[in-house]
Amino acid sequence: MEFKLTKEQQLIQSVARDYAEKAIAPLIEEIVEKNEVPDEIIDGLKDLDLFALPISDEYGGAGAGYASYVLAEEQLSRICPGVAVIVSVNNVGAAAMSIFGTEEQKKKYLPMGTTGSGVFSFAFTEPGTGSDPKQITATADRDGDYYVLNATKRFITNSSYEGPIIVFARDTETGHINGYIVDKFCEGYSISEPWKKMGVRGAPLYDVYLKDVKIPKDNILGGPGQGFWILKVAMALGKIGISSIFLGAMLAAYEEGLTYATAKTHRGAPIAKFQAIQMAIADMFMKYEAARWMAYRIGYLADNAQDKGDILKDSAAAKIFITETAIDVARIALNIHGSYGLMEDYKISRVWKDVIFGSQVEGVSHLLKVLIAGEILKG
Amino acid sequence: MNIVVAVKQIPDLQQIRIRDRRPVLDYVPCVLGDIDKSALEAAVELKESVQGRVIVVSAGNGEIEDTVKEALAAGGDEAVLVEDDTLADADSSVVAKVLAAAIRKIDDVGVILFGEGSADNYSGRVVSAVAADLGYPQVGYAKQIEVDGPLARVTRSLEDSDEIIEVPLPAVISVVSEIKEPRIPSVTSILKARKKPKAIYRLDDLGIEIPSGKNITTISNLAPVSERKGIVVKSVDELVKILKSERRLER
Repeated sequence: MEFKLTKEQQLIQSVARDYAEKAIAPLIEEIVEKNEVPDEIIDGLKDLDLFALPISDEYGGAGAGYASYVLAEEQLSRICPGVAVIVSVNNVGAAAMSIFGTEEQKKKYLPMGTTGSGVFSFAFTEPGTGSDPKQITATADRDGDYYVLNATKRFITNSSYEGPIIVFARDTETGHINGYIVDKFCEGYSISEPWKKMGVRGAPLYDVYLKDVKIPKDNILGGPGQGFWILKVAMALGKIGISSIFLGAMLAAYEEGLTYATAKTHRGAPIAKFQAIQMAIADMFMKYEAARWMAYRIGYLADNAQDKGDILKDSAAAKIFITETAIDVARIALNIHGSYGLMEDYKISRVWKDVIFGSQVEGVSHLLKVLIAGEILKG
Repeated sequence: MNIVVAVKQIPDLQQIRIRDRRPVLDYVPCVLGDIDKSALEAAVELKESVQGRVIVVSAGNGEIEDTVKEALAAGGDEAVLVEDDTLADADSSVVAKVLAAAIRKIDDVGVILFGEGSADNYSGRVVSAVAADLGYPQVGYAKQIEVDGPLARVTRSLEDSDEIIEVPLPAVISVVSEIKEPRIPSVTSILKARKKPKAIYRLDDLGIEIPSGKNITTISNLAPVSERKGIVVKSVDELVKILKSERRLER
């Protein structure tokens, strides 16, 4: 057992850190204000191959694996979780396609989300269902060599960018839930106004409407009947992204708390000299260390799993622990700041609004615990 | 004509903590210094005008092979390394001798670039010693380099002015960090770095005599003590006055 990053992993981590500090940090206020990431950031991430790290280089990705992906996402999110969310959702769609897609589908669509001008979206959630595929109401009607899709999908990231969106809908003929590949902004595709969300700004969420969208019959990801398996893998990989993102937000909170504790003085000494603050610093360190090794391990597991769906229990456990711990650490950092932490002039106030997202998205904690327990009790 | 860039592996300065005025180096990974990266970036630009290769040269302990991947990811085409555990503590005269011997193994050398000083000790002694050993002219403080046939035109950044000089090649040139902003390498270039050619020599392969004793003994190398003066000012004017009196505004 060796708890050590390879040289390549160290370098990838520092590439993401450097890019986030040099290119994203100067724009953070604009990103938060507009709830929008400038295109130049997406282009920069693609130029550095940070946009599709785990996707094979055969299709324009970096082929760097999930351990490196976790390290890079942590560093991007340390500066801007919104940017890291765009990357994560792109990866869920692109990874699902690289695992399940036919060669033709991969050649046509993957480069859009790796080096091209597109960004992947993944549309499962609906107004009436978040995590249960059986409740999906979106429909796909077979019409000769085509399917005609009708759907309302909720909270869809990246849906305002060009590129492919994988829409989960029920084949009205067979009853199968399938992932249908749709080109965004085709005829019949539209999106709502962005939801006004409190944190993770820069990655806006939209509702997506498909009205009689006609796609070729071969645009089923992985072929008919694969929907459940695709969802299982996507859930596992999505939780790796969310774990990394909220690990990065946690790191930001930890750094803010530590910086304030050493800079703020009381009676002529930094407040870090007081034992109450020292307890808080130690707690932040302990929690961050536990969380980060859990995140790094899940990246390692994803790199070594034959079937990425097999790591769902572990990635769900990591996701719950890390997102909830991020809230704990941000709360501690906020306490260290006292009243100042409530002021928008202090970064911790923004981080606080970011970390609260983690446990609510990509499966709420309670639901995921039922899933984990189910896997354990299955034996 | 090939461009050689000599780089040094140093502890990651961002991860060093100071305890009892001494650096704590445990678990601190090795990296390349920022000035070395600037030299490398300058080399990559020069390469296009001379149709040669950028060859990274370095000497160090067993970690050097790993550390040099950073330079190969950032534009180096190949590496010539001297790997020996004794080199981690070697003084600058030994390092210079070793680097000069390694550079002699490279064909068609035109320009040999160094950072002005290493980012850890910043003694700046190795550059001159390598130039002397090789018998090549040396130019310091370069902020711009153009190769023109058998000559290099070098703009030197001096305290109050720039100086432009011409030097016959091959030459040893040390650069200041402003010569080029180091690039952020892409992930793909990082992953491809391990496949780039590397020649690795042991000290015995170089055919040089390494003196057993040290020429230089470090007597003391302590972090400066910084103490707050605890001066309370009541206005900006007063602050400016104090800063002026301490000549702090003239820097």
